[in-house]
Amino acid sequence: MCFCPTRTTRFIFFRTVLLFAFTVASLSNMASAQSVLDLRGKPLDPLHASRGKITVLIFASTDCPITNRYAPLLQQMHDANKDQVNFWFVYPDKNTTAGQIAEHLRLFAISVPALRDPSHSLVKQAGVTIIPEVAVFDANAHLLYHGRIDNLYEIAGRPRAAATTHELQDVLTAAIAGKPSPFVSSPAVGCYIADLQ
Amino acid sequence: MSAASHRDKILSSAFCFFALGGAQLLHSSAAANSPPEKRVTFNRDLAPVVFRTCAPCHHPGEAGPFSLLTYGDVKAHARQIADLTERRIMPPWLPEDGEAKFTGDLHLTSDEVSLFQKWLSDGMPAGDAADLPPAPRFSADWQLGKPDLILYADSSFEVPANGSDVYWNFIFRPPIDSTRWIKAIEIRPGERRLVHHANLIVDRSQSARRREKSAGTGFPGMELQIESESFDPDGHFFFWKPGTILEPEPHDMALRLDPGNDLILNTHLQPSGKPEKIQPALGIYFAEAAATKFPLLLQLENDRKLDIPAGAKNFVVADEFTLPESVSLLAIYPHAHYLGRDILAIAKFPNGKTQTLIHIPRWDLNWQAVFTYTTPIDLPAGTTISMRFQYDNSADNLANPNSPPQRVVAGNRAGDEMAHLWLQVLPQLPTTGANDPRRVLQEAIARHHVENNPQDFEAHYNLAAMLQARGELAPSIDHYQLALALRPGDATVENALGGAFFAAENLPQAIAHLSVAVKSRPDYFDSQYNLGLALAMDNKFSEAVEHLRAAVALRPQDADAEANLGGALAANNQTGEAIAHLRRALQLNPKHSLARENLDSLLRDPAKP
Repeated sequence: MCFCPTRTTRFIFFRTVLLFAFTVASLSNMASAQSVLDLRGKPLDPLHASRGKITVLIFASTDCPITNRYAPLLQQMHDANKDQVNFWFVYPDKNTTAGQIAEHLRLFAISVPALRDPSHSLVKQAGVTIIPEVAVFDANAHLLYHGRIDNLYEIAGRPRAAATTHELQDVLTAAIAGKPSPFVSSPAVGCYIADLQ
Repeated sequence: MSAASHRDKILSSAFCFFALGGAQLLHSSAAANSPPEKRVTFNRDLAPVVFRTCAPCHHPGEAGPFSLLTYGDVKAHARQIADLTERRIMPPWLPEDGEAKFTGDLHLTSDEVSLFQKWLSDGMPAGDAADLPPAPRFSADWQLGKPDLILYADSSFEVPANGSDVYWNFIFRPPIDSTRWIKAIEIRPGERRLVHHANLIVDRSQSARRREKSAGTGFPGMELQIESESFDPDGHFFFWKPGTILEPEPHDMALRLDPGNDLILNTHLQPSGKPEKIQPALGIYFAEAAATKFPLLLQLENDRKLDIPAGAKNFVVADEFTLPESVSLLAIYPHAHYLGRDILAIAKFPNGKTQTLIHIPRWDLNWQAVFTYTTPIDLPAGTTISMRFQYDNSADNLANPNSPPQRVVAGNRAGDEMAHLWLQVLPQLPTTGANDPRRVLQEAIARHHVENNPQDFEAHYNLAAMLQARGELAPSIDHYQLALALRPGDATVENALGGAFFAAENLPQAIAHLSVAVKSRPDYFDSQYNLGLALAMDNKFSEAVEHLRAAVALRPQDADAEANLGGALAANNQTGEAIAHLRRALQLNPKHSLARENLDSLLRDPAKP
């Protein structure tokens, strides 16, 4: 699924929004039909549950050092924006149990709620391919952005001293202000979701 | 006791974490493109490569974030492995394949790289179970069996959950009561996913302890400066990186460890996302016999030329040094920080032929290492070693610590730069006696550094110490004074300069400089001792007693200090106390002939010391 919001003129932007509004309904129907589970094993559609708020899905795994390194930053972003934004950690590996995820969250002091996505329905819906990659949806469950959190890692094995671009923060700031998203997608660096069984 | 001391080497370590693949997806592999008999299989083709080059880090308890020991493990990361090997990011091995071969080589041939690609497109078959070689076995135990001595850092260090890299130094104080010879040290840095590199350095004069806020806590810093008394050059690298397989030193090249020597572990740590404590340990193995061969670490450098403009993509620093003695080159350790890009070292032999000693086309501080030659390279006297380091200070260099790029100059902090090439060499002539070729090499390299950089404090200091050691007092004093001009009031130089004047029998100058040293650092044993001695030689006994008392208080186990205090007290007509200190000196060293003579003479005729 590919969305290409254009931001060159006001007029075109307006048209794109309309187009999205149209697509949203089918998206959210699709999600609810899939088997996204919370850690108690109950089906949960994060986009439906977040209706009225911005949603951030963070695609994660328990053994990814890059995901782990982002844990404090993601927790801070969650704490700072929780009135407007719902964050979810999403674990696409079907072999990772709810208990392992709970332990992972505990070790890294993450209070963001977590979901399992063993059939990769959220993966497909968000268009993500990498762990860690984030997807941001607006209050109407329309995909605004998917890609990296920032550019701390741009080439594998060579993290910067500190990130110099902050894509997730910039997308959220714009979304909270009701402005168009400054980015649609960006390449993430990490493990390939396609490698997961 | 010699007042000489010299300040020498700095090693550093670095690290970064394992990191993962780029975003482009490789071709999906549902369809097998090759006929079955030509398919690449895991068991026959991939497993030998994976077991040799991936598994040493990718097994439980090691630094790799996941294991690569089985078909399932490798299949679960197949695209990532194919991507990272193709881009030569994994396995991490900096030197380009060339004439010189290194131990522990992780380099993949291009055929090996294409195996991973082909396996993916062939549908990742396991293959015939009979083809699978035995998986490597890794023990969680000490690699060489139970160490003779295990030391733990006095306290742990807490790595914060977040932020950029951290450099921390731990001081170990080996509890030995006689000189021992070390054949191997296993460094256990603690949680291996935090520590990417560690360097162990011997501190023979407890000089690093001064940097601890309180004893046992360790101290921060990327680069270390260690002082050592007299001529005792470093000859060994003790370097740890993930997957290190411990190789004992050759039996005739053990490392000397004296009572009171400290071992400093310099670690490069990276936050993991949660606060973590690390408390490294060392497993020390003693050799049965003392060393008979003494390698030496030589450093080429040209830090003075490091003034890299913001944005410069191709900034080059070079140095060359001609060996005054024939040596065998055992190992090489190039060192730059985050802006380093292409690193080259070449030997030009006296016959005009050249050989590349190491070429690193894509420097990465995170994967720096000491590279040991599988066969030492003979470098005859007259061989010129040259280094050429290229730096990229543009925004294109992802490792650039500054955004936007800024001018960067040489320095010890992570954000500064370095251009160092360390060589571990073994002189081909015997290293004993007055003509120790190590002295010739050290003096030549110190002279070279002074010529490179007349503002180099350490070079002047080391050259002065070298000259002093072979009795060239006038030029020695000259270079100490040049060093002092660069760091006025530095206690170490004031002490050494005082010592040189003392040796030149210029007592007023000796006392003047030693007094400055004592004033600036009252807890400096050497200068208290030397000043006490100089004052005693100048017949100022009551002042001498005062400083020798201070020296004894600082090092109660030092027989020389006790003996000299006894002598000064006797000369100052404090006979009773003099006898007590001379006895104490003999208690500490029953063979102390000076203390024995003085004590005998006092006991014979207490009135006339």
